Amino acid sequence: MFGIDDPSILVGYLLALGFTLACLVYGLLNWNNGVEEQRDGS
Amino acid sequence: MAVDTGLFVAITLAYLVIIIGLGYLGYRQTKENDDYMVAGRKIHPVILALSYGATFISTSAIVGFGGVAAQLGMGLIWLTVLNIGLGILIAFVVFGKRTRKIGSQLRAVTFPDLMGKCYGSSFMQYAAGLVIVVGMPLYTAAILIGGAQFITSTLQIPYNTSLIAFAAIVALYVVLGGLIAVMYTDALQGGIMLVGMTILLALTYIKLGGIVEANTALAGMSDLVPQALAAGGMTGWASMPALGSPIWLTLVTTLVLGVGIGVLAQPQLVVRFMTVKDTRSLNRAVLVGGPFILMMTGVAFTVGALTNVYFYQTQGVIALQAATEGNVDTIIPNFINASMPDLFVVVFMLALLAAAMSTLSSLFHTMGTSLGFDVVRRTGSEKASMRPIRVATVVMIAISVVLAFIMPGSIIARATAMFMGLCASAFLPTYAHAMYSSRPSLRAAKMSLIAGAVAWFAWTAFVHIKESEALGLSDFLFGVPAVLPMPWQVVDPLVIALPLSAAALLVGWVLDRYGVPVEKGAEAA
Repeated sequence: MFGIDDPSILVGYLLALGFTLACLVYGLLNWNNGVEEQRDGS
Repeated sequence: MAVDTGLFVAITLAYLVIIIGLGYLGYRQTKENDDYMVAGRKIHPVILALSYGATFISTSAIVGFGGVAAQLGMGLIWLTVLNIGLGILIAFVVFGKRTRKIGSQLRAVTFPDLMGKCYGSSFMQYAAGLVIVVGMPLYTAAILIGGAQFITSTLQIPYNTSLIAFAAIVALYVVLGGLIAVMYTDALQGGIMLVGMTILLALTYIKLGGIVEANTALAGMSDLVPQALAAGGMTGWASMPALGSPIWLTLVTTLVLGVGIGVLAQPQLVVRFMTVKDTRSLNRAVLVGGPFILMMTGVAFTVGALTNVYFYQTQGVIALQAATEGNVDTIIPNFINASMPDLFVVVFMLALLAAAMSTLSSLFHTMGTSLGFDVVRRTGSEKASMRPIRVATVVMIAISVVLAFIMPGSIIARATAMFMGLCASAFLPTYAHAMYSSRPSLRAAKMSLIAGAVAWFAWTAFVHIKESEALGLSDFLFGVPAVLPMPWQVVDPLVIALPLSAAALLVGWVLDRYGVPVEKGAEAA
């Protein structure tokens, strides 16, 4: 796949892309969440 | 340098004018102590993400680690996995939100201040401040050396002049404009880095005939691996080293785990979580931060490995043989100079300058605030005062510049890994405990911080051969460069010190939990 035969390298690339995608999805899904937390207790 | 120096000088000057302008903007907006220390807690999420990323990624990460990828291959992509998974997702979602919330409630303005207030302990603030004041100048000096070497080679300015001018320009906007100036300039620098790395990836694959063609060519070069590297376990540039071999241990423990985990507890990054007004800003920053880091280290490591294909196809040599005087730090610049259009050489050189400046400015600010606010300010007002912190920043900058003149030029990547290892070993369990325990145990925190720092130092000075040999302490005391045999000598200090630090935290917490008496006053929170 993509000219890379070693699965451990391929998995590394797929995970790097997967985590990037996760960042995008997380950011979009939570775009407007968390705006009212300024005065919360911890 | 292949490109016209005049063009690069002109673009660099224009860039510096904009940087100074942004620094001045930061200075004008810095009215109160909170502005200077935590950017007034109102930074825009995109600026946060770019600033975090640009601080995270230094020239060393691109040129130094890119050179390592040229030497050891694509296995370094696992560091990118950790950079994004831990350095962005876990850092922002798990640690960032709690840090912002607790930091805002406690009005903490530095990482040591946050630790001190979470544990209700001056000791924690002082000790964390000391670790920063003692450890960070080494990392800062390494960044300074890298920046000065780069300026010397591209602009033909004498090394000493480059070093002092580089430090002075960054010092100017850090000292006067505080964290607002640092983050504004970081954001611009991050933008330049993003443009540079995106073009680099595209042009490299175009040059080598496409993604599949380039990767296939790299995989087909495994029989060209030098004998010394093959004996150490290397199997090729598009495959992982043999499991458990010395090169595998170095790649996995030092480069991937050491740097990948180390980023979680770096004070100059943690403080950025306290610069935004709400959790929404952190959520939005994640969206920018993940792709940014992918385009930094992911590209550097991929292109680094692929330089082997380029040099083999054009010069009949592997990247290591194309390095100037065998120095892997020269592989990426040599590749850029040899293969890229002149205009891109300028863009990339500017991106490297931006990477060095953005990391340096954050380190200057963190060291200055740690010395001026956490370590020296032991008496008097609880509030930060800008003047002593500015003076302390100048002092720490001067110390770093002196260190940069003393330290060897080959220390850049190693000092980066060492600092990250020290931070994670000393701070990570304590930081996590402070963020997620409703009643954090001071005794556990003290035990963890001390165990982590001491174990890290002991392993560095007496076992990890690359440092123990250079430091000479093991040889002086025991007559051997390292007190343990292989493979321990290539196991990174973090891999030993971090579990010990976590174990010490657990023991301290259990002792507290089950009522073993603690000294009077230590629990005053």
